[in-house]
Amino acid sequence: MMKLKSIPGAETVAAGVAAKPQRSTRDGRKVNPLGGVAHLALFLWALATVGPLIWVVLASFKTNEEIFLGEPFSLPDSYSLTSYADAWREAHIGEYFLNSVFVVLVSTAGTMLLGSMAAYVLARYKFVGNRFIYYLFVSGLAFPTFMALAPLFGIAQSLNLLDSYFGLILIYIAYSLSFTVFFLVAFFRTLPHEIEEAATVDGAGHLRRFFQVMMPMAKSGLVSITIFNIVGQWNQYLLPVVIMQSESKYVLTQGIANISVSAGYQAQWGQLFAALTLSILPMIVVYAIFQRQIQAGLTAGAVK
Amino acid sequence: MSDITNSELDRRTLLRRAAAVGVAATPAVGMLSACVGGGGDEKNEQATGTKSADNPLGIDPKAGIEIVIFDGGLGTKYATDVDTPMYTKKWPESKVTYNATEQIATTIKPRLNAGNAPDMINNSGADMMDFGAIVKAGQAADLTDLFAAPSFDIEGKTVAETLVPGAIEQGTYDVEGGRKPFAVNYSFTVFGLYYNKKLFDKNGWTVPTTWADFTALCDKIKAAGITPFAYAGSNAAYYMVRAIMTSAAKIGTEQVLKDLDNLKPGAWQAPAIKQAAEAWGQIGAKYMNKSFLGLRHTEVQLQQNQDKVAIYPCGSWLENEQAASITPNFEYAVMPYPSVTTSDQLPATAINAAAGEIYFASTKGKNVQGGKEYLRVMLSKAAALEFTKLTKSLTVVAGAADGQTISPGLTSGNDMLTKAGKDVFMGYLWDTWYKKMNDASLEAVNALMFNGGDAQKFCDTMEKVAQEVAKDSSIAKNTRA
Amino acid sequence: MRHGKYPFIIGFLAVPVALYAIFVVGAYLQMFRLSLTDWTGYGTFKDIGFDNFVKLWNDPVVWTALRHNAYLLLVMPLAIIAIALLFAFLLNVGGGSKGGMTRGVWGSKVYRVVFFFPQLLALALVAVIFQRVYGPDKSGMINGLLPDSWEPWLFLADENWALTCILIVLVWQAVGFYVVLFSAGMGSISQEIYEAAALDGANRITLFFRITMPLLWGNIQVAWIYLGIAAFDAFALVNIMTVNQGGPNNSTQVLSMQIYLNAFKYSQAGYASAIGVVLFFLALSFAWLTLRVTRRDSVEA
Repeated sequence: MMKLKSIPGAETVAAGVAAKPQRSTRDGRKVNPLGGVAHLALFLWALATVGPLIWVVLASFKTNEEIFLGEPFSLPDSYSLTSYADAWREAHIGEYFLNSVFVVLVSTAGTMLLGSMAAYVLARYKFVGNRFIYYLFVSGLAFPTFMALAPLFGIAQSLNLLDSYFGLILIYIAYSLSFTVFFLVAFFRTLPHEIEEAATVDGAGHLRRFFQVMMPMAKSGLVSITIFNIVGQWNQYLLPVVIMQSESKYVLTQGIANISVSAGYQAQWGQLFAALTLSILPMIVVYAIFQRQIQAGLTAGAVK
Repeated sequence: MSDITNSELDRRTLLRRAAAVGVAATPAVGMLSACVGGGGDEKNEQATGTKSADNPLGIDPKAGIEIVIFDGGLGTKYATDVDTPMYTKKWPESKVTYNATEQIATTIKPRLNAGNAPDMINNSGADMMDFGAIVKAGQAADLTDLFAAPSFDIEGKTVAETLVPGAIEQGTYDVEGGRKPFAVNYSFTVFGLYYNKKLFDKNGWTVPTTWADFTALCDKIKAAGITPFAYAGSNAAYYMVRAIMTSAAKIGTEQVLKDLDNLKPGAWQAPAIKQAAEAWGQIGAKYMNKSFLGLRHTEVQLQQNQDKVAIYPCGSWLENEQAASITPNFEYAVMPYPSVTTSDQLPATAINAAAGEIYFASTKGKNVQGGKEYLRVMLSKAAALEFTKLTKSLTVVAGAADGQTISPGLTSGNDMLTKAGKDVFMGYLWDTWYKKMNDASLEAVNALMFNGGDAQKFCDTMEKVAQEVAKDSSIAKNTRA
Repeated sequence: MRHGKYPFIIGFLAVPVALYAIFVVGAYLQMFRLSLTDWTGYGTFKDIGFDNFVKLWNDPVVWTALRHNAYLLLVMPLAIIAIALLFAFLLNVGGGSKGGMTRGVWGSKVYRVVFFFPQLLALALVAVIFQRVYGPDKSGMINGLLPDSWEPWLFLADENWALTCILIVLVWQAVGFYVVLFSAGMGSISQEIYEAAALDGANRITLFFRITMPLLWGNIQVAWIYLGIAAFDAFALVNIMTVNQGGPNNSTQVLSMQIYLNAFKYSQAGYASAIGVVLFFLALSFAWLTLRVTRRDSVEA
């Protein structure tokens, strides 16, 4: 709560700092008197972000007694890995993690390809039904997903897509298209027409204009929406619950839900926290590795 | 240039795929309404065999069965290590496909509606399906033939004859053509107030039988720095509802609860309900703090294992659920609810015990008779005994675990059951019949226990909800004699 | 120049539209259909006209839920966007400048990584964690950190604060993503624009509101819509974290929870569909309104 309080003050600071750059160009790094407040705000938020996660990791080594009677950030009495072994063995976190990675990689790629194709056409071409299709996609933003669950099961079953990664991927793509198309249509509309026209004069066809001219120009927008989709699909829980029925094919979110429910029945808190840690750790690693690419991609549009 | 050619190719592939999807989808779209609602009308192919003395349910010995077990407090070992091997031994050519899930409704309901369900389903847990609605929709199989079939391993008796009284009644529903059994309520649960026998012995505390004794004991416990009584308001308020219901039945007999089940006008205003609510409301106001409203059952149960909470209202699954947290200083024991008034109609030893944990064969499976045969295996004496050993829960198979010392909590529960004699009542069904009323009761009981104990308000709230349910024509009604 | 236009358009649209129509539109058409029936969720059903909508109009819990959604809709996007803008600002230009390039405060890269991280955690997982962070006795993380002499805070067990607790978790999780999004946007604003404005004598606050904000407007608009839609949901958190799924005393009840309860617990799938239809139109009007209101302010980059 304290972090929230620091914001109004810091905002004016931020505005002040914004104007500063031009004045201190010569002497390189300049100590900012208000930097302290900015740092404090950032540091507190970072603390609030990391705190619960560290707490989870610590708790994963603790016994029920330590978790419920001890100080939250006290160190555990011993660093036994039994909880982890149990969580790993019983919860198959590794397998589910890989399942999730596979599904999300393929479906995000599919979403981006199909989404940008549709968005490009909708943003750049005039034809009968354009608006209708556009609004059809956009209206999907307003659907509450779990209302679709029962019908979706029927649809997936009649297409023989139940319990199949292919089915899950198609469904992920379908449910990601709304936002992808909405976002990219707006983005494609803002791109200048001149280069495209020049390409047309050079004799480039529609396809080539799309893949060789528009896609590179749209890179920053594409990266943003790719990340949106990766995150969204990674976190998806309702759709796989309906589609993936057999335990060996679960994705990570299903695995975690399973653990938290069974920990709820058997009061094995250490194991729950170990499982949570196991599912968080790979994310830290993956994110640390790709962080640079993500940042680079997001800022690509800035570099001319 | 080559890029373009490739893209062109890709596009064609994609188009072909799209066309394929489109073709597949056209009939699918037409079938959509069938998938959602009409599934119940289709007759699915059933595997059957010839009936014989050895095969009383007439199953096809070669057809496999699919079963789904709820993975909760009872675990799944009894199914994987006991029931399935027993079934496979008898029917070696019938392959058992087994799945366990914590989320029964989420995974099974769509399959029921799509006419592609498992053959035997364990409907339980927080995500259980509304069984009354399943029966009404014709998705549960009539189990009359199962109960009339000879017992799996008790010579000369039918399955029905091997069960405790009331076990079948509890899974019986009104349908067109009369009352029929649709569910096996397999586990037999005794309800009471659970405590740590070692803690009580150490402090010289004795089991109270009157309300005055009970409050005096609570005072002593409080003085010792322990929360005398608690339940988990966040997700297990129904334990507290059961406490009030049990006390009300002891004050005014089970008829009080039957009136509630039948949605009789004014039933919630009955003096017995109000007295019970008042007595418990006082306990809440005096001995509990508000943090319990935000705690979950595992957390409160853990506190009890750590002697921070003394008395906890629960059912006999508790000991198994807490197995991992029980320390050498802890030994579960259970006492009946103390008499609220001196004029209680039932004696202090009276208890609430009921069959629970629904297992049913689905008409939407491919091998319904096989599913029933699996149930017949479960209802054998041998399987029941193993179930009790593994889960520390009794079953509806009468006397299956007699003479066995399995665990202190179970022994204590068994003693309580014996002492109660004929004063064992089944309890109430409105909570499973009318889920909306159940949810309202959770809020109402939390308000009663944590907001000052206004018994009249509790009765008024529940009476209003009950009458709303009674008037709502979209809610299917049940009755009870 | 335009020859081959239609085959191209059809070629590009066919697959996405087909997928979308089958899996999304197909599923939701059924929701509309079912909202006019008495379907319990099992077996067959019959048509009952608009009865479900009449019932909904008279259902006080639905109205309570609607109020809570409105609260989330007002506060959540505002809080997240404000905090994210501020942090993005600090991280990008808060550290002064060097060699003519503005840059972020010391350690801004680390902050960005840390802030973004919660977004990678599934909401269900976040809910499980915060359930214990908010523990209403000393075993909860926050209460464990408070001095021993303090009465424990009740958090989710306090009906006046429960919804705000949920809101804070939503903010906690989402801020990082928008920090990164806005950072990218700020990174693409060229130095010359700032310099030109500074030469014109614009002060710093004006710079922020006249230049940074308008140039980021596209991003903010997208964020606003996305978060607004999320505010209509909040299902995972309410379902996993709150007392009695929406309590205490309905203080965390939201429309999505009502749909879930009616569809899956109360066997009133028809009624749940009707609430779903209402939710759909509310979310749609929100998106439409947002686009309408914010349209003219957009600056094309």
